[in-house]
Amino acid sequence: MTKVEAVIQTSKLDAVKDALHEIGVEGMTVLEARGHGRQKGHTEFYRGREYTVDLIPKIKIEMVVADEMAEKVVQTVVAAARTGKIGDGKIFLSKVDDAIRIRNDERGDSAL
Amino acid sequence: MATKLNPGSELRDLYASESVRLRQDFLRSGDGPAAVFGRTALVDSIASRLWLELISPEIEGPRDFAVVALGGYGRRWLFPYSDIDILFLHAGGAMERGLKDRIARFSQQLWDLRLKLSPATRTLAECEKFDPNNVEFAISLLDCRYLAGDRELFARLHDQVIPKLVSRESRSIVQRLTDLTRARYNKFGNSVFHLEPNVKDGPGGLRDYNLAYWLALIAAMEESSGWPNDKELLPPWLRERFDAARDFLMSVRCFLHFRHGRDDNALAWAAQDEVAEEKIGAPRAASLTASEWMRIYYGHARLVHRVAAQLLEEFPAARPSLYRQFQNLRSRLSNAEFAVVDGRIFLQREEALQDRDLPLRMFRFMARHGLSLSSATEHQMEEVLPSLAAAPPKGAELWHYLQEILVAPHAAEALRAMHSLRLLTLLLPEFQGIDSLVIRDYSHRFTVDEHTFVAIENLHALRKSQSKWDQRYAELLDEVEQPDLLYLALLLHDTGKGAKSDSHVTASVEIAAGCLARLDLDAPDRETVLFLIARHLDLSAALRRDIFAPETICMVADKMGTPERLKMLCLLTYADIKAVNPEALTPWKAENIWQLYIGTANYLMKSADERVRADADDDVMTHLRTLTPAAGKKLDSFLNGLPRRYLRTQAASDVIRHMDLASRLGEDPVQLELTRGRHWYELTLVTMDRPFLFARMAGALAAWGMNIVKAAAFSNGAGVVVDTFFFTDRFRTLELNLPEWERFKASVHDVLLDKADLERMLRDRLRSEKNVAPKVNVDTRIEIDDSSSLQSTLVEVIAQDRPGLLYRISSQFARENCNIEIALIETEGQMAIDAFYLTSGGTKLTPEHQERLRAALLAELASK
Repeated sequence: MTKVEAVIQTSKLDAVKDALHEIGVEGMTVLEARGHGRQKGHTEFYRGREYTVDLIPKIKIEMVVADEMAEKVVQTVVAAARTGKIGDGKIFLSKVDDAIRIRNDERGDSAL
Repeated sequence: MATKLNPGSELRDLYASESVRLRQDFLRSGDGPAAVFGRTALVDSIASRLWLELISPEIEGPRDFAVVALGGYGRRWLFPYSDIDILFLHAGGAMERGLKDRIARFSQQLWDLRLKLSPATRTLAECEKFDPNNVEFAISLLDCRYLAGDRELFARLHDQVIPKLVSRESRSIVQRLTDLTRARYNKFGNSVFHLEPNVKDGPGGLRDYNLAYWLALIAAMEESSGWPNDKELLPPWLRERFDAARDFLMSVRCFLHFRHGRDDNALAWAAQDEVAEEKIGAPRAASLTASEWMRIYYGHARLVHRVAAQLLEEFPAARPSLYRQFQNLRSRLSNAEFAVVDGRIFLQREEALQDRDLPLRMFRFMARHGLSLSSATEHQMEEVLPSLAAAPPKGAELWHYLQEILVAPHAAEALRAMHSLRLLTLLLPEFQGIDSLVIRDYSHRFTVDEHTFVAIENLHALRKSQSKWDQRYAELLDEVEQPDLLYLALLLHDTGKGAKSDSHVTASVEIAAGCLARLDLDAPDRETVLFLIARHLDLSAALRRDIFAPETICMVADKMGTPERLKMLCLLTYADIKAVNPEALTPWKAENIWQLYIGTANYLMKSADERVRADADDDVMTHLRTLTPAAGKKLDSFLNGLPRRYLRTQAASDVIRHMDLASRLGEDPVQLELTRGRHWYELTLVTMDRPFLFARMAGALAAWGMNIVKAAAFSNGAGVVVDTFFFTDRFRTLELNLPEWERFKASVHDVLLDKADLERMLRDRLRSEKNVAPKVNVDTRIEIDDSSSLQSTLVEVIAQDRPGLLYRISSQFARENCNIEIALIETEGQMAIDAFYLTSGGTKLTPEHQERLRAALLAELASK
């Protein structure tokens, strides 16, 4: 099993969600996040005060999929989330030892 | 001993068959009290059988030992899966040792029948001793009931021990009840109007009914040192409705127990569908949707909660002494109409109820001071409601009271009380549609009406919050010119959810339009409220985009139109999201709303000089042409070249008035109009542009001691300027002397035509005034932006506000040959925030010119 963590632009959430549903990924966790890579923040002035935005609002989507699905998920997220500009985000993959469904104790791939 | 018992065959069969019968009877009748009393009687008969088999062949033997029902069992309230609380009461010592085995077997038999037994064994002396770590036991004694054994022993417990205990420890008992109640309410959302309430422990649930009974009982016992007559615990006019609510809740709880097969009292959505289909608690209804059934539920729960909360509020022991001192201080709020006792409002004279405005004045009083109504006052309000319905306050009079309630710090509490007493829906029938309305949505926590009150509460709470984000929004709230309109928009923003419509936003706008017309609001105010309602989801929707992208900001700015509307909508969005549920407004969302706000506010300021083209075909132009069909070319030539910002910030009636003033320039080259607005005076100038014009206007006002808080200056393509100055009359010259109005206008007129010595007037003024040190020091800051506008250079000046500041700044512009195309002046406390769109020789300022101007301004503002 592979955990896929995708940090994307907030405006791309709906598109990525829909695209994942289309390829059969139903389970995911969506988190509000802030961060930056090479995309730096900026400073806005308002009423004489400075407001620095150095951590840009992002959305993080986490899902665990069968190993053979992982690459398809990556390509789907990239296709839906990409704008070609700095700030598009990143995807991270990691191995998962096990998954358990709380309702009925199912384990492994069948718990996904 | 009697014959050997075989519970496996006898009692188990009895319990099983009778339980089935009780269930079937309930499913047929929906009668909760009957099911509950029936189960109690069943367990009583089982307990009696076990007593006879295991303890004594006589129901009243042996001496000095009795078994007593406590808590819910004592009240005869055994729900299908309730616990059974039993007290084994004895004389102590050898008696206990002798009975130990029999008590154990008695209990074991009940457990074997799968009855959830909670046994306690105490002597009389132990019952009389108060254990602060187990106040719940003392509370359970309030419902004690004889089951079997020594009647005299039980009588001593009931008639002597318990009254003595309660009289002695009432304060501790009630304090503990208060703590338990608070914890319970916190756990279940602190509101009766939870979308999936808990019918036992939630606010307005059966536990609140018990609480009301206990408090009334304790108060009566304190007074009489004995047991009162149950029927006299509550006033007769309340008892029938209160008991009807109890019966309803009992039926619902029975239903839930049978449905879940355990002691689970959560009325979740699936259960709501079924309970409505079965018409539990409403057997005579033709058919009920879940939403309709829930309205009945909330009606009962609201009453139970109100009574419990009032009794808790009225019980002196419930409140610590510091709080009582605070409440005694609040007694000084009493006036000729209302007496305030322990934080509750009483009417000074009952005959005052004949004044139909009294209820509104009372709720205004409540909203200002955060008080609650006494039960007597509530009852009086209920009695007077029919006559009020015959001739209710309406129109501007009603709006006047509503305004004052809405902006008061405890508005939400007052509105809830008005709603609970049915006064709100009487005055605003538009609210009826969302009364206790359930909309199933996994993110919303409350009914629609409660959501509205929570949203209003959220805004008021900003001023007291210590959170960094809340403080930013609180500053914004302080800047809003008409907060009453903002609160009114919040009150009406979801009324459309009660209509059958595809879009609740559209429906809310329609409903609100009718309401606003009935309240006789001025047209510009109506437009503002309707705008806020129509757009109340826009900022949330924009959060799903890239909030820093120019396209997003431009789109939002276009929809908002003006900084004031943006400000109000930002606050409405904050309050609305936060009222969805306590976790809805995450710090992430709060920050994003704020960033979107400042980005858009800056954009609106920087794009202020986009010009109107008279041949353009947009909604505003079309609307104006409709209002003045005869104006024709006159309108076009007046509007041509004016900034779009002018059209967005001026009501149509104001635009037409300005156009008329411009048409009279041939008779008098300086047209002035002075009016008294809600917060400030407004002086409007229409004249031909010329050097030093703005400065002379600002100087004239300063020379008269007026404090300019806001100003907007615009000019059209033909060089006609429309300048509006909003100012406060620091020395009350105009307020106290009506004739001074004309003299003031004449003086300004002369200054503008160079017929008066402005410098001398200013010197005289400054000489006559004392120098007062500022409370807050503001550093001067000058920002020059050459890229935001195609036509002008934007200069923003932030400086310490002081008399004559605007005159000094604008004079400096004139000296530096800068023409003011647009001026947008605001004051925030002691900070002046002034934005000017400047040109020189018809074009932007060169970089060298900008730097010269900057240096000149800094020098001017640094000098005294």
